[in-house]
Amino acid sequence: MIYAFRTLVGQEKNVARLLARNIRNSDIDVTSILVPDTLKGYILVETPSKVDMQDPAFKVPNLRGSVEGEISFEEIKTFLNPEPVLASVKKGSIVELISGPFKDEKAKVVRIDESKEEVVLELIEAAIPIPVTVKGDQIRLIQKEAD
Amino acid sequence: MVTKACTRCHRLMEEERCAICNIPSSKNWSGFLIILDPENSGIAKELSINLPGEYALRVR
Repeated sequence: MIYAFRTLVGQEKNVARLLARNIRNSDIDVTSILVPDTLKGYILVETPSKVDMQDPAFKVPNLRGSVEGEISFEEIKTFLNPEPVLASVKKGSIVELISGPFKDEKAKVVRIDESKEEVVLELIEAAIPIPVTVKGDQIRLIQKEAD
Repeated sequence: MVTKACTRCHRLMEEERCAICNIPSSKNWSGFLIILDPENSGIAKELSINLPGEYALRVR
């Protein structure tokens, strides 16, 4: 059985570490704790039995309680083998920058560096096309291929 | 100290080389997993992990 616990955003790893330490010192049956990067503010706890949130081991700073209901193993399989960020981006794709100085600007992909997970972009609205190199996690795909 | 991950077994460590695989570790990793009981964990079985500890989900 897998349960989702709510945490403070940005504190997922710290909460998981503290929770793991408390569990090791108690007799609670938890087999693993999963912290996917894509799931902000939540950690997933795998346990063969039902968890009792009243247990002192779950008294961890920044842990904001559990989510009702179980999660099936099939649902978390996508988190276990995360696909590369640039898998769906191709040369000529239209993307939107989601962070950095050009945030919210649209751009066309000129080149992809898969080993470094970087893309070279050309801003669409710029008067003079200047190549901009950004990390793969700073872009969001809008249109797979340009017409 | 920077946390690094082994590129083969994905175990997290602070050393330059993985103590188990004896290959260089990488600073470029994402996703976080703590295995407490590898024998009874479905996640550990899926990722073929048989030692308890901290792991990364993706290492480049």
